[in-house]
Amino acid sequence: MILKIPKMILHFFLRLNNLNKRHNLSCFDVNYLVIDLELTGLNSKQDEIVSLAWLPIVKQRIYVGKGKYFINSQVGKLKQSPIFHGLDTGAIEQGKPLNSALEQLVKLIDDSVLVFHNASLDWAFLLKAFKDYNISIPTEKIKSIVMIDTMKIEHRRLSRQSQDMRFDALNLERCRKRYHLPDYANHNAFTDAMATAELLLAQINNMSRSKALLIKQLL
Amino acid sequence: MTNITIEQKELFQFLNAQAPFSELASTAISYFIKHLQIIYLSKENQSQWFDSNNPSLFLIRSGLYDLVNPQNEVITRLSQGDYFGYPSLLSGETIKNSLEVQKDGIVYLLEQADFDFLRREYKVFEQYFVRAHANRLLSSHYKKRQDNWSDRKISELMHLGAVALPPDASIRQAAKKMSASGVSSIMITKEDKLIGVITDRDLRNRVLALDVNPDLVVTHIMTSSPKYIFENNRVFSAFQLMLRHNIHHLPVLTEAFKPIGMLTSTDLLRQQKSDPVQLIGRIYKANSVANVKRYALEIPELLQGFSHKVEDISLIGKLLSGITDALTSRLIYLYQEEFGLAEVPFCWICFGSQAREEQTLHSDQDNGLLLSDDITAEQRSYFKSLGEFVCTNLASCGIKFCPGNIMASSDPCRLELEAWVAQFYLWIKKPSPSSLLNCKIFFDIRYVEGSAELFDNFMNKLVNIPKNQLFFAGMATDINRNSVPIGLFNQFKLEKTREKEPYKHKFIDLKKRGVVIINDIVRLYALNYSVRADNTLERLNALAKLPDINKTDIYNLKDCWRYLTQLRLRTQINQEGLPSNCINPENLTSMEKHQLKEAFYLIKQAQQAVVFKFARGSL
Repeated sequence: MILKIPKMILHFFLRLNNLNKRHNLSCFDVNYLVIDLELTGLNSKQDEIVSLAWLPIVKQRIYVGKGKYFINSQVGKLKQSPIFHGLDTGAIEQGKPLNSALEQLVKLIDDSVLVFHNASLDWAFLLKAFKDYNISIPTEKIKSIVMIDTMKIEHRRLSRQSQDMRFDALNLERCRKRYHLPDYANHNAFTDAMATAELLLAQINNMSRSKALLIKQLL
Repeated sequence: MTNITIEQKELFQFLNAQAPFSELASTAISYFIKHLQIIYLSKENQSQWFDSNNPSLFLIRSGLYDLVNPQNEVITRLSQGDYFGYPSLLSGETIKNSLEVQKDGIVYLLEQADFDFLRREYKVFEQYFVRAHANRLLSSHYKKRQDNWSDRKISELMHLGAVALPPDASIRQAAKKMSASGVSSIMITKEDKLIGVITDRDLRNRVLALDVNPDLVVTHIMTSSPKYIFENNRVFSAFQLMLRHNIHHLPVLTEAFKPIGMLTSTDLLRQQKSDPVQLIGRIYKANSVANVKRYALEIPELLQGFSHKVEDISLIGKLLSGITDALTSRLIYLYQEEFGLAEVPFCWICFGSQAREEQTLHSDQDNGLLLSDDITAEQRSYFKSLGEFVCTNLASCGIKFCPGNIMASSDPCRLELEAWVAQFYLWIKKPSPSSLLNCKIFFDIRYVEGSAELFDNFMNKLVNIPKNQLFFAGMATDINRNSVPIGLFNQFKLEKTREKEPYKHKFIDLKKRGVVIINDIVRLYALNYSVRADNTLERLNALAKLPDINKTDIYNLKDCWRYLTQLRLRTQINQEGLPSNCINPENLTSMEKHQLKEAFYLIKQAQQAVVFKFARGSL
């Protein structure tokens, strides 16, 4: 299970967010920042961030060239098979300390709606990392954060259609298959961020079908 | 792949397998990845991506989209790996075509400035899109439009549903069925094959008027082995057939000879406005040579009016050949009326462009007479004057004498069946330059008038003359003696008019250096695969259906043929002292120059393929 404290914080933020003006914007007008993390495990208390990537979506266009990808050079123990991440120790050594990536990220998060596939997990790791590296986020900034979870969108959609959900029905690959999005062979934070960004565009286009669709309908 | 970062890996793998990037350095791919934008293209959001003031290149990663022209016709279906949007990027013109989204998907978009950078830096990239653009124009150039009725397919016009009875039905049953179905004719079929037709008129003339017992079976009064037409033929051909044989009902068959409906002259008249088909009708009914000539005078003017209306350029050639056929048939009829019917079966045949149904206003006569074996000297002189009569009158109708004397009026072209076969045998067995030339002319051969049985007999004998490798190699080598007018560095090679002309002109001969090469290549394939069609496009269509033939090559040749023919026809209007069929490329727009080069390039490829296949590369 994911740690209790970050979850509570998350819920607190989400409640604050209900007052957010961005909620009434059209989901086609806002800018998004799609974030993906590669982790050594699922427990933010003891596991670490291996790599981190983000990509902007501006006016429904995913700008690949403006995306960023960082490998955490300080990652201690690669619990999972390094091949799974496509990273070996050599690549890790060439990485950067995570704080440089986090400092860049903090500057971006209040400009955009944040997008994750499984937001609670990744956000918990990010909050922990911000804390570990003593990067403080001002309260106004936190208030204004809007987060969208493509996994949650898909979960809601499938429940509404009362479809049978297999244990892996909500993983990124299976979600993408339902929208006939291309198969990606590489699994790293950058490709997954790109894959999540495409999934979001597919989701909002299929939800709206030329009707208005507001951000709050995605939460 | 050493300089490819993890961020670019996924896209790199896709692009690296994709033309033109597969030919480019990985730095070009990196550039593309860095500057591309990924969009989700759906039916609902598509309009936001297409802005003439801000054009982009699109590369499809997933989904299905139909490219539609301003006339709302589908040009092509686009899927993974296809590009669109480049015509506006290259030409600076506004976006003309639109998309119909069949299945939403992921599309990569590259803006003009980045597209221009790649064009500038990478020649292969530039060439790829210029060529793709030329191809797109080639194929949309002749996009068939349906507003001309005679250009339409039979199947679009006829009423579906064959009214038919088996041969053991009685005449009374036939009359009842016709009455119940509200039709004026009925087909008699046996095991789904057409064996006869009965019309209202037959019931009147062959039953009532002659007091024939209506309980007899239909085979007594039906017209057996009736004329028919295939569903995919053009309406124009149906009209020609009806006029020529004075029939009002034409059974329509599938290509497997299964009857599927009846086309009546009323169906056609409903479609008809005023056009050349009426002229053919009048020619077939002309009661004197003077009248035939009078009608023939209308041809050029009529054609001019007509050529603006047709989109399918091959119809012009068909039309002119149809008119020449009509003139020939009527002249033969008028000759027989004056000098008596021929005592033995004969057949008027045509060669070259008339046979291929690709005549132009400048085409001259290419014809001959096929006579039964063992005829008397008297009969021979009857046919000699028939040949002279028809050829002379055709010439005064505007169809020029053949400078090479390939005409039924000259003795070598008026032969008995065995003599014709012996002639062909000689040409095939001993390929010399002159016999190869003969093969090219005489292997485009078509029946015009007379005994169809005699003609079939002849064709069967021709097909059965064994053609050896040497023959095909000779033909292939001969085709390669002619070359497309493209020099080194992709420049046009121009010819000059002779000094005696008032002005010197530089030009390209579209016919000699383009159309003729295609005709020759296609004929060679047709002979090799025993395809029995005479028209170049029909030959190509038949070839495309064969299993072991590369379809792309066939479609390329078709595109080229149509494009050159169209250009040829267009330039006939504005000649300015150039020889006929020639153009000065300086009068073309830069895009047209690209297209023309593309066409010649494809012809050159086809030439090389022919050598490889038939002459084993022995050039």
